[in-house]
Amino acid sequence: MFAIIAAKDLRELTRDGRLLWAGVLVVVLMLTAIAVGWNRHSQVSNERSAGQALDYDAWLGQGYRHPHNAAEQGMHVFKPEPPLAIVDPGIEPFVGSTVWLQAHRQSELKFRPAQDATGLQRFGTLSPAWVLQVLIPLLVIVIGFNAMSGERERGTLRQLLSLGVPVRSLLLGKALGLASCVAIVIAPAGLVLAIIAVASLSPGERLDAVYRLTWLVAGYALYLGFFIFLTLAVSALVRSSRAALVLLLGFWVAATLIAPRSASEAANMLYPTPSRLEFDQHLAHDMGAAAGESWLANFGVRTQWDPSLPLSKWGAALKVDDEAGYGVLDKNFGSLWDTFERQQRAQQWIGLVAPVVALRGFSMGLAGTDFAQHRDFSTAAEAQRRTIQDIISKDLIEHADPLGNAHFTYKAGPELWVTVPRFNYQLPPVSFALAHHWPSLALLAVMFCLSVALARYAFSRPLMR
Amino acid sequence: MSAPGSLSTLWLIVRHEARILVADRTLPLVCCVLALMIGYGLFVGLAQATLRDRMVTEVLKHEQETQEKNIRTLQSVLTGKETLVPFSNPANPAALAGSLSGRHSTIPNAPLAALAIGQSDMMPNYYRITYLSKVQFMYDTEIENPWNLLSGHFDLAFVIVFVLPLLVITLGYNLLSAEREQGTLRMLCSQPVTIATLLTGKIIVRMLALMAIAVVLPLTALLVIRPETRDAGQLLLMLSWSGLVTAYTLFWFGAAALVNVTGRSSSTNALIMVAIWTLLVLILPVMMNLIVCVTSPAPSRTELASRTRAVTAESLREYEDLYSADYRYATDPEALLVKDGHIEVPSRMRAFFLAKRKVDEQVEPLLKRFDQQLLQQQTLVDRMSFLSPAILVNEAMNSISGNDSRRYLAFKNQTEAFHNLWRAHFSPKIMEDRAMTTHDVASLPQWHWAEIPAGETNWSIAWRTALILALALAIGGLALARSQHSPKG
Repeated sequence: MFAIIAAKDLRELTRDGRLLWAGVLVVVLMLTAIAVGWNRHSQVSNERSAGQALDYDAWLGQGYRHPHNAAEQGMHVFKPEPPLAIVDPGIEPFVGSTVWLQAHRQSELKFRPAQDATGLQRFGTLSPAWVLQVLIPLLVIVIGFNAMSGERERGTLRQLLSLGVPVRSLLLGKALGLASCVAIVIAPAGLVLAIIAVASLSPGERLDAVYRLTWLVAGYALYLGFFIFLTLAVSALVRSSRAALVLLLGFWVAATLIAPRSASEAANMLYPTPSRLEFDQHLAHDMGAAAGESWLANFGVRTQWDPSLPLSKWGAALKVDDEAGYGVLDKNFGSLWDTFERQQRAQQWIGLVAPVVALRGFSMGLAGTDFAQHRDFSTAAEAQRRTIQDIISKDLIEHADPLGNAHFTYKAGPELWVTVPRFNYQLPPVSFALAHHWPSLALLAVMFCLSVALARYAFSRPLMR
Repeated sequence: MSAPGSLSTLWLIVRHEARILVADRTLPLVCCVLALMIGYGLFVGLAQATLRDRMVTEVLKHEQETQEKNIRTLQSVLTGKETLVPFSNPANPAALAGSLSGRHSTIPNAPLAALAIGQSDMMPNYYRITYLSKVQFMYDTEIENPWNLLSGHFDLAFVIVFVLPLLVITLGYNLLSAEREQGTLRMLCSQPVTIATLLTGKIIVRMLALMAIAVVLPLTALLVIRPETRDAGQLLLMLSWSGLVTAYTLFWFGAAALVNVTGRSSSTNALIMVAIWTLLVLILPVMMNLIVCVTSPAPSRTELASRTRAVTAESLREYEDLYSADYRYATDPEALLVKDGHIEVPSRMRAFFLAKRKVDEQVEPLLKRFDQQLLQQQTLVDRMSFLSPAILVNEAMNSISGNDSRRYLAFKNQTEAFHNLWRAHFSPKIMEDRAMTTHDVASLPQWHWAEIPAGETNWSIAWRTALILALALAIGGLALARSQHSPKG
């Protein structure tokens, strides 16, 4: 029975101009987003992996020089862009991609794409995720707001019920009708994505991508399902089509446009982000204090270049200095990043009124473009920097310190450079993302169930209004 | 109909409409929502502006303190009370050229910064000036949670650009269609009143109510809270801001009127208005961002990184001898003393200075390309922005608040110039081992921010406002002209 209802609704909607116009627009937007995104992605990935390889070759081929000068040249590491960034670029436009591992200091990843873009970037990035999160719910509302109220206004609802159509079939049929419209509109983009995933990824990546896509499909299905049932519920509950439309549009505006911004402002007030000045001053102060302590403990002096510290201890001193800094860096960067993560977790709760917030976190997590995965890379890059530093100070202690004042005349060669391993970073697996984002998925599921329950309640008394 | 008669009819409609709107609580509700959002947006903008103000003040204070401390230290070094290692000795020009001087370049908030956050959550408002290479300090960014950057801020510009049109739609989607559906349009048409007058009257009431909140509220608050906004130049900017908001609102009312005179049902009108809003405010800006990025892409940062590495390696090789010279300052304190106005600059420090300069000479043309590309993108945005009033308003608001890309780019350029000046100032001293005197320390190059010419900003705001106003009038005019043929129910 419900299949007949769905088929009838679908036929009606395809004859109606609304679905046609909106559908064509959505399909064009999605395909454009995928084409541009894929083009950019392959370009960026090639560049970065080539850059990474070149950089290591240059490191190996740097000839004979003092190891501390080698650390001055340092090494660049480039963050690989996850393949599903074309589905959801997430925070990628607003975080750096490159870090120059040099002596002395951990640094943030540099080169945020948004810095090389105009203020228009702040309106958003066209991506399939943006279309699915913002525009498709609007499409659902636009084509579904009169699904029940329209039947009632035309008087066909009475006829339908007099035929003895069960309420459950009616609800399922209507939902299926709306869902098939959405599916028709999304299908082309989904197909293209699937082809890309199968055709261009290596077998190892492919499996991971398929898992991720499957979870993404689940997340988006719950999200769009929520909107479908909510639309049906409102359409059945309120007095007129006009009221249903105004209510639903109001909800859409509040939930997809206003809630994310208010949520991030609120989270910022709850867990304030330090200003750059504050952070730098704090870091410099802690570094100074930690270094001073270990200088005193190890050499009995207060400053780094104390005259009583001979150059025959320079390598050893460097090691002490570095190691004193590691803890401080971990603490300072750790607490900054914890603040970011705390802000985001606080915002998840807004997902209870605005599911888009929950979905956004889940979607970028599964696409591999969220902050947790950015942090994972930053940590790996810093570990590489420390590896280089440790190798270098060890070598200085062994070979340069015995030279006394001629310390800086020491030159190491390729046999030292080769002991620094190539930077090999593997993107975290899908389980990493799920471990971080299962609460969002759970939240979406709860919201979905609530909307189904509401729709059932609304449909159980269709003629009461 | 004679002019006075039509005016009195208009007045009658305005009064009548106001009474109805207050009675059915739509207008008070919409006004409350708007007032709340405007208040919150202004609060967010003010908080950001205050934070940035404080940062600049602190940086300047730090600079002042460091300068005084350096002079004191230098005096005790010159009188032989203290011997210091090269890195912390202010007599050593290489140390002072480095981080010892605590010199910064800063950009102050524009007086109207609270009106839009713009790029100020991403672009730094100070750079630390040392002899280090530009690649070591020019890439700094403001610290902000990337998630929040992605969401965007709830500032006044957001409320005006995104939310205000929605409220206009709420008030205006059924300007005529409601009358038609209630059957009152027929009655009205039997009176000596044209649809055009009716529409104008209805829009005037709604406009006045919205403008009283959207324009008067934030500007009054700013005038009270921020005294620096009370000069002629800023008042002119505020005036253009009001003009901008009014024109934008008028545009949306014009669109609502145009949709209403076609004689469709309220639901259809609401759908059409939301479709227009989605297209102009959501889709077009995002599409245009895409077009700008595709047609005028930024040069590759990866390539820049690789080039930087190569240049650094080259400069290390070039000054290899200086880098690996003997270092005897730890065991020979005599070498640290100032003798007849000269001090030995350790060759390693000289090597750093020379190598960084070399790197910059090579990298600067590359960096210039990024700035030029950004300017080119901006020009493209300016040219295409007439496609969507939302973009026009957003760009103009960022310019008014002084948080637009152009101003930050100017800051970057001026900082780069100052950095070169800074290095040139120290270059002869470092090369000739000249010790710094107290007079030298007191008269180091000073940073001055030269504000971008007001004329340019005013012009760019003026043409945007004019354009939106023209659009609004054209659409409104079309609606009024079409209203004669509007179905009467």
